[in-house]
Amino acid sequence: MEKMIWDIEANKVTSLIKEGKRVDGRKLDERRKVTVLKNISDNADGSAKVTLGKTEVMAGVKMVLGTPYPDNPDKGTISVGVELLPLASPQFEVGPPRENAIEIARVVDRGIREGKAIDFKSLCVREGELVWIAFIDFYVTNYDGNAFDAGSIAALAALNETKIPKIEDDKVVKHEYSGKLKLAKQPLLTTVSKIAGNLVLDPVLIEEKAQDARFSCAVSDDKTMCAFQKGFGGSFKVSEIDECIDLSFKSAKELRKLV
Amino acid sequence: MAKKDEKIEYVKNGKRLDGRKVDEIRPLKMKVGVLPNADGSAYLEWGQNKVLVGVHGPKEALPKHKQNPYKGLVRFTYRMATFSVPDRKNPRPGRRESEISKVSGEALEKSIFLERFPNCAIDIYVEIFDSNAGSRAAGITAASVALADAGIPMKDLVCAVGVGKAGGEIILDLNKDEEDAPDAVDIPIAIMPRTEEIVLLQMDGPITKPEWNKAVKLGIQGCNQVYEAQKVALREKFAKVEKGK
Amino acid sequence: MENKKEEMAMPKDAVPVAKETKAEAKPMPEEGRAEHKEKKIVIPGDLIAEGRKKLGQHVFIENGKIYSDALGITYPNSGTAYVVPLSGIYLPQRDDLIVGIVERETIKGYMVDINSIYSCYLSADKCRDRLEKGSIVSAKIDSVNEVNEADLFDVRVFYGGTIIRVVPAKVPRMIGKNGSMLAVLKEGTGSSLLIGRNGWIWSKGGDQKKLAEAINLIESEAHLDNLTVKVEAFLKGKKVNE
Repeated sequence: MEKMIWDIEANKVTSLIKEGKRVDGRKLDERRKVTVLKNISDNADGSAKVTLGKTEVMAGVKMVLGTPYPDNPDKGTISVGVELLPLASPQFEVGPPRENAIEIARVVDRGIREGKAIDFKSLCVREGELVWIAFIDFYVTNYDGNAFDAGSIAALAALNETKIPKIEDDKVVKHEYSGKLKLAKQPLLTTVSKIAGNLVLDPVLIEEKAQDARFSCAVSDDKTMCAFQKGFGGSFKVSEIDECIDLSFKSAKELRKLV
Repeated sequence: MAKKDEKIEYVKNGKRLDGRKVDEIRPLKMKVGVLPNADGSAYLEWGQNKVLVGVHGPKEALPKHKQNPYKGLVRFTYRMATFSVPDRKNPRPGRRESEISKVSGEALEKSIFLERFPNCAIDIYVEIFDSNAGSRAAGITAASVALADAGIPMKDLVCAVGVGKAGGEIILDLNKDEEDAPDAVDIPIAIMPRTEEIVLLQMDGPITKPEWNKAVKLGIQGCNQVYEAQKVALREKFAKVEKGK
Repeated sequence: MENKKEEMAMPKDAVPVAKETKAEAKPMPEEGRAEHKEKKIVIPGDLIAEGRKKLGQHVFIENGKIYSDALGITYPNSGTAYVVPLSGIYLPQRDDLIVGIVERETIKGYMVDINSIYSCYLSADKCRDRLEKGSIVSAKIDSVNEVNEADLFDVRVFYGGTIIRVVPAKVPRMIGKNGSMLAVLKEGTGSSLLIGRNGWIWSKGGDQKKLAEAINLIESEAHLDNLTVKVEAFLKGKKVNE
């Protein structure tokens, strides 16, 4: 059940934004502070903890050997999984991922996949028989809005740390590595909320409660966009989308220094 | 990697494979109040184990038919991240996780004044991000301090440790290499330290009565070491607040 | 208060009984704390006193000794054994003044969210004004039953304003001795304020930003001494700067 206290706080957000202010004192186009802590799990092949304000995400990569898809015999692949853990918010429940988590996972996946972060051909071990699958799983451990961007940063930070395990007799040798996973591009996601007709970068939870619409854009370098996702019931004008895209290029450029 | 047929000396000149003494636990540290959205929380590192715990509640237990009009329920969820083990774990919770959740929740029950919260539930979520034997003891230990952080009234903390046998020796806080010994016996144990009442006890593997006597003594001694670390972490919360501004 | 403690000292296996008496327990008065300065941090299960003592909140008796049931602060030289907890959810107690939000209307009244386990039922007969979903009200707790459900009386409605949330355990410090902290907050910010025991503070007007900062300061330093002086300085200092 949605609590009335949220409505009261969301009203506060809306009336502030109408004056061009935000609940936490940020500018409308200002991102929260990002911290990246690498190597949080020795059992992972690459891992990172990312905080975006109070939103906190733990990401880990596992390189697993598998057979390639018949239509792409010389290519490995990635798989992104997200869990919104119940400890991250009283609103999250135990159980299989719901719509929200699946949407986040798929948008982050598209950013990395279509942004050509990884050359899938480099994940091929033996054509038609053996390829690497990079399982990127991230867990939201404290939720204060914008798991899209936090997840995207965490996934990329973890990938940048990922080592490729050594293979012996077509099996992975545990805790021994043959080299690092090479990333061709550094795609990152940027999310903007539309609240009371204003565009607001990197919404916190109560801003998400007040938002009419949401737009996420992944960019892989200074020129190329690689994924879009519009969410929520409201709408955007083309000029607003263009503004979001410009914000995305600017924001991703700053973030790349961190991951 | 140790092969099964190789003869390994698990304790040599009083030292174990990783250099520890037989009665020494791995480095243990924890921090309380790490998750703003939880009513109580704790992060714990114990050797390679890394555990995050969040507590919500007490709140109304739903669905209603699960409510107990005499006391609150403890709902403990132990989960492992896919990347927390050497082989990628299936993200779906398995039977092992269900069993650990059940016994861990039951281990904490007696420490809480549950009769003050009829019809309510206290939810404890334990997430393992890295593991190397002893993650359930780590989960229970962290959960108990997270409960205290949540301000849930308790008679005592609960502290847990693994004790067991490897290579014929009774040792405290087994790591994965020791747990993989051919004759390994693993005995997770949890106590309430003030009264030394045992609230969790499991075992797998053959062991004699004299060995058990030695193990339980060592286990309780280990729990008390864990208890000291819990006390430090809880008191630090005040220190953190004092320095905070 | 004593009744409550006797019941806690019962043999552990005894079947819990209905605890009408619990509602009688009053919050530990803020006054008198300064008289016994020496404080001690305790964790659940820590020994508070061996001998006989008057029993306050968050302690229990086992085998004739008094222990803490919470992480918090105790005052060893006090005549009463009690612990001021650092955290915890709000449990309604009789005569508490709380701030609530109307959640929905029922046939003959309203359900009011009071930031506790259950929402409270409020009979329409007890309100002079008609309330609607989202109305902010203040009220007193009339009675509490054995499962911590409460009834309300003395209801007042607020028009406008907003709610600031704090940890319920820290509300006594927001109010201060004889309302001293509340007076400092009101004067320093020019805001209208009503501090609910349940951790919800209704506020309207004045310098809301400064108010939020001052409340944050109290919350994070609630266990330290001379807080009123500090907050007063903070509020004044800000004024000078501006």
